[in-house]
Amino acid sequence: MRSLTRRLEALLFISSRPVPADRLAEACRCDEGDVAAALTELCDEFAPGRHGIEVREVAGGITLAVADDCADDVRRLTGAERPDDLSPALLETLAVVSYLEPVTRAEIAEVRGVSSEWALGSLEERGLVEQKGRADSPGAPILYGTGERFLKLFGLRSRGDLPDPTEFALGVAEVDELRARLHANAERRGV
Amino acid sequence: MRAEAAAVAAPPVALELDLDVFDGPFDLLVTLILRDEIDIWEVRVSRIIAEYVVKLADSGEFDLDATSQFVVLVAALLEMKSRLLLEEEIEEELEDLDPDEAARQLLDRLVRYSQFRNAAGRLAGLWAEHSGRLYRSAPVPAALLRRATPEGALSAEVLAGALVPLLREPPAPDTSHLADLAVSLVKELRRLRLILDDTGEFTFAAVAPRERLERAVTFFALLELHSSGEARLRQAHHFGDIVVSRASAAAAG
Repeated sequence: MRSLTRRLEALLFISSRPVPADRLAEACRCDEGDVAAALTELCDEFAPGRHGIEVREVAGGITLAVADDCADDVRRLTGAERPDDLSPALLETLAVVSYLEPVTRAEIAEVRGVSSEWALGSLEERGLVEQKGRADSPGAPILYGTGERFLKLFGLRSRGDLPDPTEFALGVAEVDELRARLHANAERRGV
Repeated sequence: MRAEAAAVAAPPVALELDLDVFDGPFDLLVTLILRDEIDIWEVRVSRIIAEYVVKLADSGEFDLDATSQFVVLVAALLEMKSRLLLEEEIEEELEDLDPDEAARQLLDRLVRYSQFRNAAGRLAGLWAEHSGRLYRSAPVPAALLRRATPEGALSAEVLAGALVPLLREPPAPDTSHLADLAVSLVKELRRLRLILDDTGEFTFAAVAPRERLERAVTFFALLELHSSGEARLRQAHHFGDIVVSRASAAAAG
């Protein structure tokens, strides 16, 4: 293992949060190209199945993670628990926040068609949604967005890693079907 | 309309008003506003509230039911007045919206919502895959760690024993060191009105009691007389004595 690779391993061991590559380069007084090459070597060394820990790129930086097949042992030792599952309402609210952030409570409610006060509160309690200041609009409502914990728990390097939203758009046939259902409902009610 | 319903449903409130645009009982004013015979824009609701506060102070009694009815009616008036501010915009929006346009807007919203609902489905997959992963992190402080309860450590008896002290009534707090307030705002208002009627003018120093709390009540009573338009207050310089005089008819209006 090259000297730089070992030094990076030491930095990741001592860092309790993901470290961006430029911070690693700064600490090692070398350029980012060298860091990228050394990180590749480090990832090969810690490839899944070789060690109890792995090197992962998540939440804007590089960090060490427990190998998935060792996680249960770690939980038994440390008492750490898996986060509780998210209900469909929480996932839906989180999807709106993550794609539209920074976003106000009213904008979330407009997309979902229902008040999202409870869902937002619950997501804030779980650390998946954070307050990001206030909007420059009447009433200065609070703006919400996601943070590092969201990226970690969903295994994303950055918000840019979120699936392309156009993937989820309804197709022409589905929109036509929705339109037909709306018309049918309206006729049934005599509108 | 909710405002009208609230106004119609409420029993009468006995309050005589003497406003710029209306002179008579409050209930009649509400009725005339509802019949569009008086423009609510011309009515200062704050003045009605001030008159009611004076009436309450004069009577020396606080009837919760009557006051509740008054609050309901005033709230209804405020709602009507505030709605007028928005009415033009809302009407314009509704006029612009024909049924086809409304259907198109609803469809657009549903299409947009579906996109996020589908995205939520994908997030659910990512959550299932990644949320259990343990990253290098600073240790959680011991005090915040959830600890499992050792098996057998808790029994119904232990829980009951923990609950009983919580159900016991705590002793009543000792308030013997607190002195009763000797002067009430209503009584002080009545006293100052009498002095004002007799003398036409007096100073705060001459009428204020010695005790600090009682002086504060006298001061509040002065402010009340001033806000109700009964008295005029003058002070030549900061921290100087306050001269209270009967307000002239012009000043009171």
